[in-house]
Amino acid sequence: MWKQVGEREVGKLKPHSFANRIKSNRISSLQLSNHKEIVSAHRGAVNSLQVDLTDGRYLLAGASDGSAAVYDIQCAARYEGGGLVAKHESIFVVDKQHEQGHKYAVSSAVWYPIDTGLFVTGSFDHYVNVWDTNTTQVVMNFKMPGKVYRTAMSSVAKSHMLIATGTEDVQVRLCDIASGAFTHTLSGHRGKMMVSGSTSNSIPGSQSSFPKARMLHKKAAYGNGTKHTSTTHKNKGSTSQRLHPGMLSSHDRATAHYGAVIGLKVCEDSMYLLSAGSDSRLRLWDIESGCNTLVNFEATRLQTSKGIQLAVTQGSSLVFVPCMSAVKAFDVWSGRTFLTFRGHYENVNCCWFSSQDQELYTGSNDRQILVWSPSRSVHAEVDERGGEALMSTSDQDNWSD
Amino acid sequence: MGEREREGGGKVLTLIEKATNSISPEVDPRLLNAIKSLVRYSHHSETQLAFDSLMHQMEKDHSQVRYLALLIIDELFMRSKLFRSMLVVKFDQFLSLSVGFRRSLPLPAPVAIATRLRLKAIEFLEKWTTSFGIHYRQIRLGFEYLKNTLCFQFPNLQQNTARIQQERREREMRSKEILLNKFESLRGNISSIKDEIQTTIDEIGECLDILRPKDDLIPLDPEDDVEEYRCSALQQIRLESLKEGEKLHEDSDNKVVFDTLRELYKLLASRHLVSVQEWISVLVRVEPADIRFRDSTLKEFIDLRNHLQSISKKCEESGCMLTNTSNHEDEDIWEEVKIEAVDDSPPNIPREDHSTTSIAHEKKNRTSVNTTKSNGSKKLDGEGEWSGFTSVKRSLMAEAPVMPWGSFLDDWGAKRDVLANQRGLELEGHWGRVDYDAVIPAEKIAELKYQASVYKEDPVELRPCLAPLKVGGLCQRRDRRVCPFHGPVIPRDSEGNPIDQPQLNDVKILDLEKEVVEKLTKQAVKNVRERERDEAKRKNDKNTSKRAKLAKVREHNESVLRDAAIASTSYSETLGAATESAPFLKEKKQTLASMLRKKETPKDRIAKRVLNRRTARQCLMGEDTKYREAYPNQW
Repeated sequence: MWKQVGEREVGKLKPHSFANRIKSNRISSLQLSNHKEIVSAHRGAVNSLQVDLTDGRYLLAGASDGSAAVYDIQCAARYEGGGLVAKHESIFVVDKQHEQGHKYAVSSAVWYPIDTGLFVTGSFDHYVNVWDTNTTQVVMNFKMPGKVYRTAMSSVAKSHMLIATGTEDVQVRLCDIASGAFTHTLSGHRGKMMVSGSTSNSIPGSQSSFPKARMLHKKAAYGNGTKHTSTTHKNKGSTSQRLHPGMLSSHDRATAHYGAVIGLKVCEDSMYLLSAGSDSRLRLWDIESGCNTLVNFEATRLQTSKGIQLAVTQGSSLVFVPCMSAVKAFDVWSGRTFLTFRGHYENVNCCWFSSQDQELYTGSNDRQILVWSPSRSVHAEVDERGGEALMSTSDQDNWSD
Repeated sequence: MGEREREGGGKVLTLIEKATNSISPEVDPRLLNAIKSLVRYSHHSETQLAFDSLMHQMEKDHSQVRYLALLIIDELFMRSKLFRSMLVVKFDQFLSLSVGFRRSLPLPAPVAIATRLRLKAIEFLEKWTTSFGIHYRQIRLGFEYLKNTLCFQFPNLQQNTARIQQERREREMRSKEILLNKFESLRGNISSIKDEIQTTIDEIGECLDILRPKDDLIPLDPEDDVEEYRCSALQQIRLESLKEGEKLHEDSDNKVVFDTLRELYKLLASRHLVSVQEWISVLVRVEPADIRFRDSTLKEFIDLRNHLQSISKKCEESGCMLTNTSNHEDEDIWEEVKIEAVDDSPPNIPREDHSTTSIAHEKKNRTSVNTTKSNGSKKLDGEGEWSGFTSVKRSLMAEAPVMPWGSFLDDWGAKRDVLANQRGLELEGHWGRVDYDAVIPAEKIAELKYQASVYKEDPVELRPCLAPLKVGGLCQRRDRRVCPFHGPVIPRDSEGNPIDQPQLNDVKILDLEKEVVEKLTKQAVKNVRERERDEAKRKNDKNTSKRAKLAKVREHNESVLRDAAIASTSYSETLGAATESAPFLKEKKQTLASMLRKKETPKDRIAKRVLNRRTARQCLMGEDTKYREAYPNQW
């Protein structure tokens, strides 16, 4: 590390690559954090996690008990064990006790991308609520025809305030916060929309909301017999005919997964799309051509009953995939398992990677939100706490005989 | 170096395998120590090996193996940081293997040990959380998950001890407060207490003054009489008698004074002395702010107590206690008299009783021998009781029956006719002429009064079986001879082990059976030999072939039957090794595999009995007939 600093000092190393090296170093040492702990306020499975895009400070979580909570991940509420463990408690919770809270499970909770004054939650009670963060009141809600599985907002769009929602219904709806109406209804899927992928991107130079809308086409269709996704970017839509399952592989190139698509994630540069299917497959698609890049991701097991939320690192080098009770980090380009994170006791539903702190947050059915951070050794140099002394005394070899 | 390490690692592996391959509830301490020392003075790779092998043992499909592995893991976990850091990485796996909280991965067979394993694992988890939880998020996570999500019951050892301490502290605080309150109240009315005591003391003093012998004229002077009474013992007696005489005795004149003195003394002994004692104890225990006051009061009270004690002694000497004792004596005498009376009376009354009964018996014996014989189920024995009687009487007594009391004893043995209509009531007369001279003959009376007695079983003390139970404790089932669960009821020691005598019996039985078996085999051998001989004979003599054939068949049949008989006894296996001792036969060596085997329970046996085809058919038939009876028109 000091060598790199030296190189940077004399100008051998570009600032960007220097930062990247440090970051990748830190990412490779990710492990369950002992010094940072989120005190989960949820009494149900955590379904959705997102750190706000502006400050990188507030973690928004939606859970199956109908609650959504915001945690401050920078400043701890209290310390335990002589400053060894920082406990991050929720700043506020909106749950069933709240008069405007959701009645059923919150399936999705996303921040308004421009600032932290608003956030959007979608729930199984058919509503999409837009909340004012400061007053924790609903400023607007949209009634959907069925359970809401996923909501998304574009992070780069300047000219609109649209929420894309994937519901039980076959159509994707775009809700406009400004007007309170549905601006578009996008059809193309058969079966219910189990997952709507993250759409926080746009292609530069494309017209208003349409790229986003087209992105939304890449939804999973969930239902009868054969499952399919349109992976085509250019409006091929989901045109796959019903075929005998055995014939599908040879005839139907458009079928992405033999099973429901349970997770979608667009890489940061909007060039590639990752999809996870209930056939326990992970695929990488070239968005421009709509082709499968044929990266062979190592065999794993994904949960089939619920949608999962994937996370990608900043340089799109690693993708974090919840695999049953563990989270695996795959190399995007080679498909190799890079790291495995074990710590949850039940299936993991969602993960979020904060590229600012190089920390990974995972939410699971066991109601916990775990923080995975670079190992302490780097950290300890930065802030030396009194806990170190305590650590050295009480966690040592203790051989009495 | 590498080789050495591998060797060491191999050692750890074999040690762990050996330690976990046991049926005892604890790990062999020698093996455990060896493992510990190996891990302690070893490198990273060896600890890793030990860890891997322990996890491998934890995955075994046997709760006993897992349990022992868990014990070793705990030992290493509490000691080695390296081991801890290895375990926490796979902590969820470890928990699912030891607690079995995942439904898809339940704990393996022996159920009893699986429960023990789970309890132990939960206990360890709690212990680890309290001691290392702060350093390992995984441990905290596991603990929280089991506790809050799955709602496992943790033993809560730490909290319990804390609560107990808290309770004790509170109790101490309360008692201290009470003491302080008492102390304050004492400080408030110490003067009144002292005054009260002082007045009593004064009164006693006055009383004693009155009672003190007035005539001091004749001083007690032992010197005078020295010449007369040489013997010291005699002298002593004399002195005492003099002293006694000197004392003022209670009489009608000073009775009032004595009474007062006695009362005062009582007051002193029962109230003041006790209260002073109490105050002293309070003062000793209390911790007030004003220590000087406490000390001074304590001193005062101790002086007071000593003073009171001396006064009470004086009182006793003065003779008020003497009267008291005499009173006691009176009471005693009275009681004794009562006891004497009670003691005296029995010899009289029983004697009479005996004589009367004996007379009755005599009469009975003389007159109705028949009845005696029919009733004589029990004879009185115990010659000592009847030592006072003549030999005739004694012999009669010996064979007299014991009868329950009843009205029939009134005319026991009376062989006379009874007038039927002479009861004094004229009821019969209302309906016509009555024959007042109607007589029931004596035979009839005897017949009517015939005493039938029911056989009564001698009460037998049923001893408990006392065989040791698996769940701990002894079998409390009481049976006469054989306990259905543990075989013959035999004397056992406090542990439930049979005392040697029955073992001898067992051995004898076994020997007997073995003898039978041996005899049978000998017979079989003989048969075979005979057969061979027969065959040889047949070769020689072809004439008798037919008969020989028949005989051979017969013999073959016999030998087959014998073989079957031998095979059916369980001892046939050990025929060759007859020297092997009997107890070994019975107790097969228990292994890990044998723990998995299901034991046949009484329930199984009953099920076998109940659920077989015959009973089922019987039940069906029974139902069928019932149905036919209920609905005769429907079939």
